[in-house]
Amino acid sequence: MSFVAAQILNGIATGMLYALMGLGLSLITGILNIPNFAHGALFAVGAYLLASAANEIGNFWIALVVAPLGVALLGLAIEYVGIRRLYAVGHDYQLLFTFGLALILSESIILIWGPVGYSYLPPPILRGGLDLGFTFYPKYRLFVMVMAGLLVLVTWLFLEKTRYGAIMRAGIENKEMVSLLGIDIHKLFTVAFALGAYLAGIAGALTVPIRGVNPGMGVDMLGIAFVVVALGGLGNLLGAIAAGLIIGVAQALVAAYWTEASTVVIYAVMAAVLLVRPQGLFGIR
Amino acid sequence: MNKLSRRDILKMGAGAAAGLGFPAIIRAQSKEIVILGLWDATGAFADVGPINDRGMKMALEERGMQVLGRPIKYITRDGATQAGTSTRRTEEAVDGEGAKFVIGPWSSGVALAVSEVAKRKKVLHLFSGGTEDISGSRCHRYSFQWAASPYTAAKTVVDSFMKANPKAKRWHLLVADYAFGWSVEKYIKEVGKSHGLEFVGADRHPLGEREFSNYVQKAAANKPDVVAMINFGLDAVSGAREIFNFGLTPKIPLIMTWSSGVEELVQLSPEIRENIWVGSNFYYTADTPVAKAFVKSYQAKFGNPPGYAPSASYSMTRLLLAGFDKAKSAEVQDVIKALEGIEVNDIVGHMRMDAATHQNIRPYFFMRCKSKSAMKHATDFADIIATGDTPLPKEYGACKDIGGF
Repeated sequence: MSFVAAQILNGIATGMLYALMGLGLSLITGILNIPNFAHGALFAVGAYLLASAANEIGNFWIALVVAPLGVALLGLAIEYVGIRRLYAVGHDYQLLFTFGLALILSESIILIWGPVGYSYLPPPILRGGLDLGFTFYPKYRLFVMVMAGLLVLVTWLFLEKTRYGAIMRAGIENKEMVSLLGIDIHKLFTVAFALGAYLAGIAGALTVPIRGVNPGMGVDMLGIAFVVVALGGLGNLLGAIAAGLIIGVAQALVAAYWTEASTVVIYAVMAAVLLVRPQGLFGIR
Repeated sequence: MNKLSRRDILKMGAGAAAGLGFPAIIRAQSKEIVILGLWDATGAFADVGPINDRGMKMALEERGMQVLGRPIKYITRDGATQAGTSTRRTEEAVDGEGAKFVIGPWSSGVALAVSEVAKRKKVLHLFSGGTEDISGSRCHRYSFQWAASPYTAAKTVVDSFMKANPKAKRWHLLVADYAFGWSVEKYIKEVGKSHGLEFVGADRHPLGEREFSNYVQKAAANKPDVVAMINFGLDAVSGAREIFNFGLTPKIPLIMTWSSGVEELVQLSPEIRENIWVGSNFYYTADTPVAKAFVKSYQAKFGNPPGYAPSASYSMTRLLLAGFDKAKSAEVQDVIKALEGIEVNDIVGHMRMDAATHQNIRPYFFMRCKSKSAMKHATDFADIIATGDTPLPKEYGACKDIGGF
């Protein structure tokens, strides 16, 4: 029993990271109405920025603040310089733009940081593990679980309880109406994209001591982020959080009894849910 | 007399080109020896393909891109670490470019598919990887295996490790779920019997797995004396990192049974490498004249020592060229006959290509990683503590008759 509890705990920890990725992607997808293919690359940039900043500054905590902000700035620039110019010409072009951007960012990572990945250890205070009674669990993973949970909560509170969050949700529901009410829809899009990029960046940064960095890490995560969004319902933020946790726990439990299927279960869960609810768990469209 | 139409003139022009121009091209083609390097630039082994290419190029450049007084045309194709893409691009290179000699790819499962193309198209195929089928149940005259037999690897690793850790009897295995993983796992368990090993767990993971925490928790729950991974590349790096994060290493030893060596170890911090034991087809401190010269030249060119990937492609290419020299011919079947039973001293030491199975009989390396304080420089990862070259016993051999051409 303690083994199952340990696997569930681990699933929640991993699921929190998936939720963070899914939340950012869902936000961008909801607002822009296009899947952001560069979301995985933004995750990787966040990871590399953390590793570089932590090595340069010698302080993980400062790097953890700086790296996602760097990715948010990058997101801001991408929206302002690129995507904004493509609103008038339709979704196909935006789609191609984010796809091309993903390739450019991935290749840039190789050009800047090289093709070979490396490891980065957690800060000394978070090294080692804790005996939780039913399992021994790495301190850093517990930290990530709490941190990701807090970030998800704060983002959700911002979107649900603040005026600007309400405008953003309204933007997801009906852009034209929001625009007619005199709200600067372009500014809204820019902020949403930057926030989505920030969430991808901080997910990437938090992952570094667990998974290290390598140029392919964005691609690995992008597929999962899309599954989370599809499973939760396009543009549905609560759905993204629930879907991230479901995927994480399903992966952990299947790995406990049938390890060979631990990757395929992610897609099997999505396929099963979409068969019954094509709009996703919480989606309405 | 009818006037010539524009169409007639074009036809004549085409005829003249066929009669005059094409034979010149054909003459040039027959003089050139086209060798294909099937190296992945995309897919799971996208990070390995470019360094495979480095090694192969170095071996060809050593000979001035010539053999038997004829120029070598080296072409590469991206197999995308997928059987479909790799076989299609190999066929295109054979039919379109006249490639008669193929080296690669890096994935065992994909190589098995390419080996079938080599058999059908009657082209020579050299490969290095962990599947035993190429020189086993699916052996044929056109494919050769450069890497040590999975049995040789398993025997070297288990015997050498148990000599150093006689009490570590409870083993948990973490195995990549494809041809290479299955082959090595089978022999680890087989050799383990003679040491009285108990396999408390053997979990298989998909190729390209990045979330190892679930597997590691399972391994920890089994309370093993040692965890042995039979996986490769980023899978191995991700696994080793997570095993450290969950506090298993350095308390208990971790064996990377079939490692690329340098390319994997450089991605792990010295703290993570503590108490890791590594089996590999090559390590750059190998004490052979060919290895010393190759490592020196590779380091001068690329700034870091070579791991298994560039070393294998380098040595396979040298082996192929030695086949040309011995055959004094560039005909595929002549070169195959020359390679059968060939003996050379190369980067790993003495190598003999078994004529009956096309399995390279050669040493396998076993290393122990150094602690951070013992490292003399940034790439001083490990010491070679043993080598082993016990060939696969006949009773296990699945290649009963390699057949004809």
